[in-house]
Amino acid sequence: MKGQVGTLEVGVVSVKTTSGRGMTPEEWADSALRHIIHVGDDAIPAIRDQALAYREAIRNVLVLYMRKAIQSDRTTLYNLLLQQGEKEMAELLRKL
Amino acid sequence: MAFTGDFMCSSFKQELFEGLHDFQVAGDSFKMALYDNTATLTAATTAYPGAGVGGELAAAGNYTQGGEALTNIAPTLDGTTAICDFVDEVWGTATFTAYGGLIYNDTEAGDPSVIVCDFGGAKTATAGDFTVQFPVAAAATAIIRIA
Repeated sequence: MKGQVGTLEVGVVSVKTTSGRGMTPEEWADSALRHIIHVGDDAIPAIRDQALAYREAIRNVLVLYMRKAIQSDRTTLYNLLLQQGEKEMAELLRKL
Repeated sequence: MAFTGDFMCSSFKQELFEGLHDFQVAGDSFKMALYDNTATLTAATTAYPGAGVGGELAAAGNYTQGGEALTNIAPTLDGTTAICDFVDEVWGTATFTAYGGLIYNDTEAGDPSVIVCDFGGAKTATAGDFTVQFPVAAAATAIIRIA
């Protein structure tokens, strides 16, 4: 009897860079989605459509909550700056 | 000599059978170091060459030599294929150019190498994010897979 063929393979990373800014919640959501849900090209069309719609719904939730996380972090930083007597800088941050 | 492709290090394959690497969430600490186009990393690379050695980026522009620790994602099965994944790694407020990276095991003695990643050319961030995105965690694409 012949043994089944097995392989040990390596994947390909990609690099995304920005200049003069960080990545946006939308860009992070797209990155995160690749680790959460994968829709195969050979999936049954009806199931693939459902999966794609589900993925889009998850993306929207991720973007929304990431924006809220950023907002919360700014609130925390605002208060830290105030505690350090950096009122002007705190106000700049609050207005972002 | 520049990067010549993506490689799973040959020594890593042997070390898998020796049970040297633990990719579980609370397992070994894996790092990714970044390199310029003078690097000579191939499948024959057996370990992280050392800080600043072999074309590793200089400690500047928010890059720390030795690289950044990756976050392990629990290995799993996609069908009959075992797959391994990491969380995307970001160097924030980065100002540097890299051509590729080396993933190595920072927990084990000698920093044994795992994978050589070719970025496909110069990738530059200027006062921005430099993000290495790992491929879709699936049977045909995951960063490390045993079919």
